[in-house]
Amino acid sequence: MPNSFLVVDDSKLHHQMYKLVFSRGSLAGSTVYHATNGREGYTMLAEHPELSLVFLDLNMPEMNGLELLQRRRAERLHPHIPIVLVTTEGTKEDERRGRDAGAWDYLRKPFQPADVERIVARALSDSRAASA
Amino acid sequence: MSRDGLLRFADTVNRETAPAPAPMPGGELHLIAFGLDREEYGIKVGQVREVIRVTEITRVPQSPPHVRGVTNLRGRILPVVEIRSRLGLEPAVVTPRSRIIVVDVQDRVLGILVDAVLQVAKVPLDTVTPPPDEVLSPQTDYINGVAHWSGRLIILLELEKVLLLQA
Amino acid sequence: MTQEDNAFKELIDDYVVECLPLAERVADTFVELERRWHAGSVADDLLGSVKGTLHTVKGNSAMMGLAPMQELAHALEDVCALLGRDAELQTEQTAALLVAGGSLLVEQVRAAAKGGDRRRTREFVAQVRALESRASESAATVDRRRGDRRGTAEPGAEPSGSVVRVDFRRLDTLLEVLGEGLIEHSALVEAYRRVARRSEAVEELGDLDRTIVALEKTMKRLEAVVMGIRLLPISTVFGRFPRLLRDIAHGEGKRVRLAVSGGETALDKAVLDRLGEPLLHLLNNAVVHGIETPEERRAGGKPPEAALELSAVSHSGRVVIRLSDDGRGLDEARILAKAEALGLEVRSADPEQIRSLIFLPGFSTAAEVSQLAGRGVGLDVVATSIRGLGGTIDVESQPGRGVTFVLNLPLTLAIVRSLIVEVDQERYAVPISHVAETVRAEPEAIHEINRRGVALWRGDLIHVSDGGALLGTASSPTKARRFFIVISSGGKRRGVMVDRLVGHQDVVVKGLDPTLGRPEVVSGTTILGDGRVACILDAVRILDQRIPA
Repeated sequence: MPNSFLVVDDSKLHHQMYKLVFSRGSLAGSTVYHATNGREGYTMLAEHPELSLVFLDLNMPEMNGLELLQRRRAERLHPHIPIVLVTTEGTKEDERRGRDAGAWDYLRKPFQPADVERIVARALSDSRAASA
Repeated sequence: MSRDGLLRFADTVNRETAPAPAPMPGGELHLIAFGLDREEYGIKVGQVREVIRVTEITRVPQSPPHVRGVTNLRGRILPVVEIRSRLGLEPAVVTPRSRIIVVDVQDRVLGILVDAVLQVAKVPLDTVTPPPDEVLSPQTDYINGVAHWSGRLIILLELEKVLLLQA
Repeated sequence: MTQEDNAFKELIDDYVVECLPLAERVADTFVELERRWHAGSVADDLLGSVKGTLHTVKGNSAMMGLAPMQELAHALEDVCALLGRDAELQTEQTAALLVAGGSLLVEQVRAAAKGGDRRRTREFVAQVRALESRASESAATVDRRRGDRRGTAEPGAEPSGSVVRVDFRRLDTLLEVLGEGLIEHSALVEAYRRVARRSEAVEELGDLDRTIVALEKTMKRLEAVVMGIRLLPISTVFGRFPRLLRDIAHGEGKRVRLAVSGGETALDKAVLDRLGEPLLHLLNNAVVHGIETPEERRAGGKPPEAALELSAVSHSGRVVIRLSDDGRGLDEARILAKAEALGLEVRSADPEQIRSLIFLPGFSTAAEVSQLAGRGVGLDVVATSIRGLGGTIDVESQPGRGVTFVLNLPLTLAIVRSLIVEVDQERYAVPISHVAETVRAEPEAIHEINRRGVALWRGDLIHVSDGGALLGTASSPTKARRFFIVISSGGKRRGVMVDRLVGHQDVVVKGLDPTLGRPEVVSGTTILGDGRVACILDAVRILDQRIPA
């Protein structure tokens, strides 16, 4: 079964970028779901327990990435799905807050396709180890 | 208070015939003792910058009566004052023993003309007696007490009050 | 990573599609912000909303490898953050900067396919950095701002890079130390003279003499340099007058034009700082009292717009400032009448003396009290200020044609060329500018009229006081003193008897310590070459004193 991913970001451009990334190399053939705001993203997270990894933008209007994480933790929604917080700048303090809210890792912009591949590979090996 | 009154009080403490008021507890006063006529006075060392010999003192026309004049202190113009009149004494005659005590008080630097500078002493506080009420008056609020020490009597002055610097 | 090897470069059109409206929104917001600030209202909400948009543009540009747009958006974000913290920066200048930045961002994004113009965004970012450093500087020097608002720019100062900021108090210290050097040099000269009298080492004395002369030259050069640093052009004071004058004239319903010349004339900052107020008072008085309304002027055959001239000229260590108007002129008859009403005795034949009466307290030549006259200040206050600077003020007038005030000021307060005199073994310094002449006293020349000493001097009868009586060192008048000096200021003259004329000296003026009270006849103290302190006489105050009976 191909891997599936969720991208939650308010920038259409970023969705184009992710599409590009997931259409090439080792990630080719993946299923990618797109949400353009936090609320939509939460709904889609709930509907897809099979997701391998979620790419969650931090700065979004209405519900931002941190708020989504906090809601997920509060409602104990699919804790097994790793979520990557995507940010432009981040201080140690931001990172700590993200991890406290349940982020599995950080991805800093600007990133390249190789960075995405790396983080996906790690997420997949982690989950395999977990279920082994 | 008259000069006589002050002397009488000093004698009283000296002879210990009157019950002395309780002396102040521990610690010591670091002071510089100087002479005016026959008495010894003391002021806190912390306010004294230096002691210099008396060189030329230039009169300043229309200055207050207690201002003796100004003198050159290494390029700085130092006002020189007398505190004798404040203490009820006659004006000074300058002798080779005369000195100017340069003090720094309330951001002002000035010199006090004295007959002689006797010594710098660390006087234990328990040798100091505050002046009893009959000696103190609004005109003599500059006396902090009297130190009975080493066989001598040093009248302790509150410099700012002597110089009438407080509002 | 450049844009060329960027993995997403094929998405450039998508970038523009997404970011151009965002950039335009930013630019529009800044324009709105500028409009609001100009109208005096706040725009904090706009600052908040634009931050998120800039953040998105920044992130997108970074992903696309478009460094110029990324840096530009980042810089604009920084300015917005700075404005949020420091309301004082909400100026026209900052608004203009933001508007420029916004439109630059739009331009860059629109042409993103070309990769962005690094040079132009760099220039803009440099402007932002300059703003930031100015902001942090002003926060750190709040207390210095209080003391030295005009800064320490020299006349003709170079633009930043070759200018040093110095606290003005340090220049005072520099001058003090220089003054001590001058005193020590004088002491050295005296010591040399004493040695020379008793020594036979002719050659060595010659060397010593040459060295002392060379030292004096060096000291003079140093003095010139230090004084030069303290000099500022008078235009720093004159500059604000045209605007202020317009306001005053408008309030009075008069039309006035101000012509200024000699703005580059330089004065010591200490003098300059105290010159503005008296000059402003003179200007105010000229407009309020001296100048007629346009109708009156037309009726008198004058152009309806009055002409005011303000000029400054320096020569021989003094600066002469003239302020003239073409208004009514002084009404001498009215002045005389007022003087009599005040009980002053006046020699009615001397027009100069009559005119100088206006500098006495209680005089006002205004017949009616106008609205602004309450704000107008008596000329006696102006005269006191000018004299306090060691200067003089005189007035020239032609009835119906106008008035000219002439101010004569020392270049500096700090060093004054003085005549040293001796009275009863005490030495005093008298500023040369106030000494009209020194005269050997012949006993027959001093007469007594009404028990006051008078003497004939250059055809005038002047009062002569005994120096000892004046300075409190002797009570018997006109003891056999050998000289008298004629001191003069503002048309007044008086003779003072002294024992000796010691010489001329540049004295470093040191102020009067508050412990010395407020002597009337002494304006300061100084240290002479022999190390003794001498009082500096206040010639102007001495002249103002009434002659003792």
